[in-house]
Amino acid sequence: MFEKSLYDLIRGLRNHKGHEKEYIQNCLKECRSEIRSQDMDLKATALLKLIYLEMVGHDMSWASFHVLEVMSSQKYHQKRVGYLGAVQSFRPDTDVLMMATNLLKKDLAASLPTLIALPIGALPHLVTPSLALSLLGDLLPRLSHSQPAIRKKTVVTLYRLALVYPETLRAAWPKIKERLMDKEEDPSVTAAIVNVVCELGWRRPTDFLPLAPRLFELLVDGGNNWMAIKLIKLVRTPDLLFATLTPLEPRLVRKLLPPLTNLIKTTPAMSLLYECINGIIQGGILGDGEDFSAREEVASLCVSKLRGMVSGNSDPNLKYVALLAFNRIVTTHPFLVAQQEDVILECIDSEDITIRIKALDLVQGMVSSENLVSIVSRLMRQLKASSAALLQQQDALEGQDVETDSSDETGNGSRRRSRPKEQPPLPEDYTIDVMGRILRMCSQDNYSNLVDFDWYIDVLTQLVRIAPVHRAKDPDLSSSTSASTQATDISERIGNEIRNVAVKVKAVRPAAVRAAELIISRFSTETVSSRPVISGALKPLAWVVGEYAYQLLSSDDTLRNMLNLVPRIDVPEVLATAIQTVPKLFAHIAEDDQALWTSQRKSILSLLMARVIHVLEPLAQHPYLEVQERAVEFIELLKLTAEAAAGQAPSTNELQQDPPLLLTQAIPSLFTGWELNSVAPGAQWNVPIPDGLDLDKPIHPNLGSLLAQADHLMLPVQGDDEFEVYYNQKPAPTSISSGPAIERLVDGPEEIVGSYQQAGEESYLDADIIARRKAERMERNRDDPFYILGSSRSEGTSTPIHNILQKENGPDLDIDSIPIMQLDLDKLNLGNNGDQHQQRSASSKPKTRQRIVIEADETLGGSGTATPRHYESENNSDSFTKSKAKKLKQQSLLHVDSSHLMGLSLGDADGSRPDDGFAHERQQREEAEMAQAMKEVQRLRLEMQRANERIQVAQGVPVEGIVVKKKKKSASTKKAEDSGVEPASGEGTAVVKKKKKKVVKKDDEGGESTVVKPKKKKVKRVVKLDGDDDANNAGSTATAEEGS
Amino acid sequence: MINAFLVFNGSGQPRLTKFYTQLDTSIQQRLISEIFTLVSNRPPGSCNFLPLPPLLAASGTSSSSSSATEQNDVPSFVTYRHYATLYFIVISTSTESPLALIDLIQVYVEALDRLFENVCELDLIFNFETLHAVLGEMIVGGVVIETGLDKIVSGVRAQGTVVKRPVNEGRGGSTMGAMAAGFQGMGGNFVWHGR
Repeated sequence: MFEKSLYDLIRGLRNHKGHEKEYIQNCLKECRSEIRSQDMDLKATALLKLIYLEMVGHDMSWASFHVLEVMSSQKYHQKRVGYLGAVQSFRPDTDVLMMATNLLKKDLAASLPTLIALPIGALPHLVTPSLALSLLGDLLPRLSHSQPAIRKKTVVTLYRLALVYPETLRAAWPKIKERLMDKEEDPSVTAAIVNVVCELGWRRPTDFLPLAPRLFELLVDGGNNWMAIKLIKLVRTPDLLFATLTPLEPRLVRKLLPPLTNLIKTTPAMSLLYECINGIIQGGILGDGEDFSAREEVASLCVSKLRGMVSGNSDPNLKYVALLAFNRIVTTHPFLVAQQEDVILECIDSEDITIRIKALDLVQGMVSSENLVSIVSRLMRQLKASSAALLQQQDALEGQDVETDSSDETGNGSRRRSRPKEQPPLPEDYTIDVMGRILRMCSQDNYSNLVDFDWYIDVLTQLVRIAPVHRAKDPDLSSSTSASTQATDISERIGNEIRNVAVKVKAVRPAAVRAAELIISRFSTETVSSRPVISGALKPLAWVVGEYAYQLLSSDDTLRNMLNLVPRIDVPEVLATAIQTVPKLFAHIAEDDQALWTSQRKSILSLLMARVIHVLEPLAQHPYLEVQERAVEFIELLKLTAEAAAGQAPSTNELQQDPPLLLTQAIPSLFTGWELNSVAPGAQWNVPIPDGLDLDKPIHPNLGSLLAQADHLMLPVQGDDEFEVYYNQKPAPTSISSGPAIERLVDGPEEIVGSYQQAGEESYLDADIIARRKAERMERNRDDPFYILGSSRSEGTSTPIHNILQKENGPDLDIDSIPIMQLDLDKLNLGNNGDQHQQRSASSKPKTRQRIVIEADETLGGSGTATPRHYESENNSDSFTKSKAKKLKQQSLLHVDSSHLMGLSLGDADGSRPDDGFAHERQQREEAEMAQAMKEVQRLRLEMQRANERIQVAQGVPVEGIVVKKKKKSASTKKAEDSGVEPASGEGTAVVKKKKKKVVKKDDEGGESTVVKPKKKKVKRVVKLDGDDDANNAGSTATAEEGS
Repeated sequence: MINAFLVFNGSGQPRLTKFYTQLDTSIQQRLISEIFTLVSNRPPGSCNFLPLPPLLAASGTSSSSSSATEQNDVPSFVTYRHYATLYFIVISTSTESPLALIDLIQVYVEALDRLFENVCELDLIFNFETLHAVLGEMIVGGVVIETGLDKIVSGVRAQGTVVKRPVNEGRGGSTMGAMAAGFQGMGGNFVWHGR
């Protein structure tokens, strides 16, 4: 015999350093064959080895049936291995569990305490609602087992049963309560019960109110610190004291306060002391009420203790938990925490990241305009030091080994350990977190804490530089994608802040634009030209330099930098924005129509255009449509312009030549218009619908045919028209367009409708452009009587509002319903409102604090008919789904869902009045169970059918086919009958169900014995009983009956 | 309640994994490696609590926005202790007292020490069944049932004899055998007498 024991396996593992993988694969192979052996000892050993390998990360779900086999072994030590295997390897989708029910029942009824402990210990890991239902009866008697060890384990297992099958509590709770009340009970059992009560307590406070005296007694003279901590935790549950126990609360508080204070003053156990403080504060015992002086005393006692924990060189664990307590207090007693600002701020600089994060949580709520700068500079210092360290490391790393780039994690680990002396760089997610917090602190309440915007811009510039940028190779690694998206996300957020400042704070706009310019020039010069640019900050920054090109120091340089960058951007969204920036900058350069059209200027501009076209050309094939569209648009436009420029001879000394209008007028006019302001999310919904506008009315009675007509129009012709408009007409705001305007009128409605309907699907940038174009069009046609009269649609939506706004004090204007205006009124001098286009233009007051909102998708999404109320509800539902999604996410990992417990009421434990909700629940459960049982039956039936088929094939019976067909028919009709009857007579179905249940149980018994053949026999009976329920399987039923 | 109890050594090799909810093996491994990266980068003298690893943080941060009761269901603490070559990790919800968890780990290690007499990592490697048994005497289904050292030890002994470390696998030859030394100084390390 050469089988390995676990000991051999582990030794082998240790002896095969370097090629463990191979070794493990071999071992797995061996285990696979060993576990199939008839020798129980061998089987169990193989299983033990598998469990060991599972711990190291090798899946063993395939062995679940063998786990069951070992579990049913007669020998205790083998059984133990089996149970361990079940605990470690069974997953929610392990299907052999059904077969384990009887085994578990049997072991629960064993006489040996150690044997009973096995299923009790394993059940919390395995339990399903149906398992809970069938085992509850066997588990309950164990609550009064002679050994306390069994009793306490049973209590906990019952709790876990209740989590999946709340009904457990109804039966178990009275008994558990009895145990708890029993003063003769073993103290460790009592402690276990208290632990369970603590877990249950926060879910179902009402049920534990009657226990209060006993719990209080335990707290006062229990003498067990573990238990005391738990009891205080229970007290701490706010619900227990506040929401549900309001009538009782004063009494309880008065009773609790003395012992707690006593504990605080006397206990030597720090953990108990801490929990007492925590309990007092959290339970609201500090709260308002009579007996003020006593409370005051307690409050100062608690806070001073906590302060002692946080400050100075105290134990880091105490620091952490004290901060944790402060974090809880701050929601209810902010003033108490604010007093501790100094010590808390110290914690920000702690070298322990856990403590830092907790301190940051607190600090974030404490910022004011006085301390903002100092807090942020503290954080910035940390970030900078860390990024310097990181850079150093990267340099060192790049020098010695470039390949570790791909395996980021191991690289990090080894790097960190290799240089223990230096301050290690902060982990990336922490850096990102801190950056996010800085942005949040500064931009809080629309920058209300921020005084010095120039400083803020400097901070932001710095942040962009040190923001973690994931390396180009990383996206392939699936594990790092979340981190890398986070990284781009944070740099984009930083960029967004620069943009927000540029948009909102006019006084510092030049500075913001220059900062953006600088960053972009850094991007283009500092990074290696072959590497793609991935900083998400580029997107908002590119927008800023394009939009405020007139504020740039040098638009030529910036354009050059942008042209350098564009081919290297690999994020399509960023690329789309960057493309947009290029013609904006170009327009700004070309705009100057005062300058002479000299040959020098001509050649410069021609070269520039050629360069732009060269850069954009490859993007015309870009897979991302937005990029493609923009690229194509601008390429064509520039080509035309280039043609025009080439055609225009330069001025000579004799002949003064004007530059082509296309260059100086048309292109710039594409991008100039009203200034863009930040719009509150949902502002769109708040625009009042003008009188006389019926959004439900069809725009045109014959819209369909109009659209069909439009389809017939040849696309190139349209394009020419567009260009003619641009080319021939000086689209000055005041121009009265004659011919082209009429042409536009024809297109008008359709165009606008299109943009209305698409608005929801397009990204906000897209909408941005639409908005600007609309604004431009509006401005162009504002004084065009034809336009206004002709296009009913645009008149309906924009013009009346516009007019009203111009009049400003129009009687029918609800100023409050337009959020931007509201804000203007709030924050600005009223005098400023004389501005003509108040809705769009920013006020000229320096450092205004307009509402800080980044234009979000929701602003333009949704249906056009939405009223403000509609918006609200939509928003709510949105957040609702979000929270729902979050919930789902939460439950995915390590989350033990105890919410089922909420539905169950223990109040009527005797079951005298079963309430409907519960009955319904039970019914549902039964149905689910039934479905599961049916599935099992189905499976077995299929199995048998296959077996039968095999037999048939072997015997070669040709006539069978016809018979099957006939039977099939009858079966299906039978089914129809059945389904017709079922809803009518509930009793009948109940009977049927019962039958099925019985059958399933029998089936289980069959399954328990590991022999396969008898099981099949029983299954045949099953088929006879309810074979008619599924027409699909009629064939199998037929064959089954044939076989029997 | 306690969501998971993990033991791994200084190079991240698991020595004991116990999850009190059913979790895919691959996710278990990811979680372990995430916690290991967190724990192995702690500067000396930092506290025994870790920030939530990314896998858990996603749910942890979102819970701060949801109600307080929801929070009690979600793992919110990662407590660890470092003994010689081993890290002991407890992941728990906020219904557990963080300081008490530190003590709980201490009790666990003391129990092991008693069973193996000067326990070292090797004992744990070769007797991982005993590790499970000890844990089973202390925590059932994520709820602490026993903190008394004597009861735990006797409970484990009742299940059968605890095998000592293999003789030829001498402690001297092992690179990880320094665990016992860690216990000598352990008594004085932490001063709250939480039990």
